[in-house]
Amino acid sequence: MNIKLDDIKSMLSTQGYITDERVAMSVYLSLQLEKPLLIEGPAGVGKTEIAKVMARALETDLIRLQCYEGLDATHALYEWNYQRQLLHLKMTEHGKQSLEEREKTIFSDSFLMKRPLLQAITHHKKPVLLIDEIDRSDEEFESFLLEVLSDWQITIPETGTILATHIPQVILTGNRTRELSEALRRRCLYLYIDYPGFEKEWLIVKTRLPDMDAKLATEICNFMQALRQMQLEKTPGVSETLDWALALSGLHIDHLDKTIIEQTLGVVLKDWRDTRQVQLSLSELMEKTGVISKLVNT
Amino acid sequence: MLIRQTSLTANIVQFCRYLRQHDFTMGVEEESLALNALKHIDYRSRDVFKQALRAVLCRSRSQVSAFDQLFADYWKELEKAVDAKTVQKEKKEPKPMQQQAQAFKALKSWLHGNKTDETETTAAYSLHESLSRKDFSMVAPDELPELTQYLKALAKRLAAHTNRRYRADAGGNKPDLRKTLRNNMRRGGELLQLAWRKRKPNRTRLVLLCDVSQSMELYTSFLLQFMYGFQQAYSRTQTFAFGTTLQEITPVLAKNDFATAMRKISSQNQGWSGGTRIGTCLMHFVSQYGKRLINKKTVVIILSDGWDQGDTSVIPESMGWLKTHSRKIIWLNPLAGFDRYQPDTAGMQAALPYIHVLAPVHNLQSLRRLAQYL
Repeated sequence: MNIKLDDIKSMLSTQGYITDERVAMSVYLSLQLEKPLLIEGPAGVGKTEIAKVMARALETDLIRLQCYEGLDATHALYEWNYQRQLLHLKMTEHGKQSLEEREKTIFSDSFLMKRPLLQAITHHKKPVLLIDEIDRSDEEFESFLLEVLSDWQITIPETGTILATHIPQVILTGNRTRELSEALRRRCLYLYIDYPGFEKEWLIVKTRLPDMDAKLATEICNFMQALRQMQLEKTPGVSETLDWALALSGLHIDHLDKTIIEQTLGVVLKDWRDTRQVQLSLSELMEKTGVISKLVNT
Repeated sequence: MLIRQTSLTANIVQFCRYLRQHDFTMGVEEESLALNALKHIDYRSRDVFKQALRAVLCRSRSQVSAFDQLFADYWKELEKAVDAKTVQKEKKEPKPMQQQAQAFKALKSWLHGNKTDETETTAAYSLHESLSRKDFSMVAPDELPELTQYLKALAKRLAAHTNRRYRADAGGNKPDLRKTLRNNMRRGGELLQLAWRKRKPNRTRLVLLCDVSQSMELYTSFLLQFMYGFQQAYSRTQTFAFGTTLQEITPVLAKNDFATAMRKISSQNQGWSGGTRIGTCLMHFVSQYGKRLINKKTVVIILSDGWDQGDTSVIPESMGWLKTHSRKIIWLNPLAGFDRYQPDTAGMQAALPYIHVLAPVHNLQSLRRLAQYL
């Protein structure tokens, strides 16, 4: 593949993704070495976003597999369309076809419902395959996935083995709810994305919402940074920052005050205990962020 | 800068070995991956070089955070070696050896120091240990049947937890269309014989860790009933008792009637009702039994008041491990039944972030509520 490291950086930034060197290097090498990329980090820091950006940058399709507990082969790989098969059998009941021919027909491609993994390996162009929240699936699925990721072929008992036409560019994400197996880790390149620091977060807000008042953006980011220092059930991510910034600018507000924060806290915090805790220590938080923003302004 | 008189390839391989000594999983595969990555980057820039190696060689968050330091250590030492014009083969990696020697020394002194420390503390503890054997016959006999009955109902619920996966089963309740079609094609496509499937049962495993130290003394008889009842009602249970040390009591509880089990346990355990070292016992559990007993189908139930006379700083590590590897951690605290209870003992504080449910257990009523957490 003829892509340069700088191309990746500019691709990521033109797609609105503020990135650092680490992200760019990992994405670049995973493309060059054709290795899956495992991205871990807290919720809402843009893990899934990287896959979307990558697909757009490579001008290819994004195929997404959302994992959950109990996800199995019929939902990840393929399933036969039984209704159609039965209908077809009924319709050709008195036809001239032999039994073998009819059997061959109903176990052919047109009766096969392709699920994300099969879609990905039979796609007409090298796609980006996003396996989202892999840690939510169980160990059984993880080992199954391992097999697919190493062989790039899928065997369907009724028809035979399907080889990948193109090896997809795989991105796996997880937020460490479960420890992934060593075997899976060794197959992938690893990238950890943490919450952004103030400068980066500010830049993200300014890039996504260019019309935003600079002072308000500063206040919002300061507040979010302070919020993440607290012991919360669900620490808000960058997506919450953006939602909040959008909401506030939509309300034509140019600076934060206590009432505004209290009224719009629901955009940022999604857990009632967190909301209560923050409401109780709001003055303290305001003071903290107020002091910081003054420092930044002078 | 890096490529002076040394070969880059050799150095990268050496570096990989250096990382291996620091708990990185490094095989030939990783080494060749690192070398391959060099083809695609401008390795004359130190930053780019470092980033590329980091992207390729790290496999977990802890490795990512350790990488920078290791990288700096290794290449600094290497440059020194090169600059000193002593480019002997062995001289190329003086650091690893040194490091290893240091680590070994530290380990030795730690082992040594810790050992003496340990005998001291246990000696101190044993002063408090009431060596009078507990008379377990204090358990009111009329309470036992009720408890056992209740626990049996609970066990039934646990066993009935179903998986989201299916397996073929002639007595199942859902038609298995794929199998039906394939079986009946032979008969001309007429569906005469239906195949069935049903949900796989989810085998929840229970691990009970019970604090039997002095601070829990008031509840010990109750806890023993609890452990016994659970073990009897639900066979996929492993029971451990801990105070100053950890001990598995599954076989005793499972194979005997209550009176015999109690007699056996009380005759074996002079050390009960002494001090508590939760952290050390949990560490012991994780290292000895963790890999074997804990998986995503395991519910860990810890019964303790959180009083820890030992080192509470080791609690986060073992609790963290349990949290990521088990399905759920339920901490049952007899004190939590009081209205004004605050989980403020050091042990409880340290464990709190890793617990899914903290619930009271001091009477049968509170136990009934346990069902909703499982």
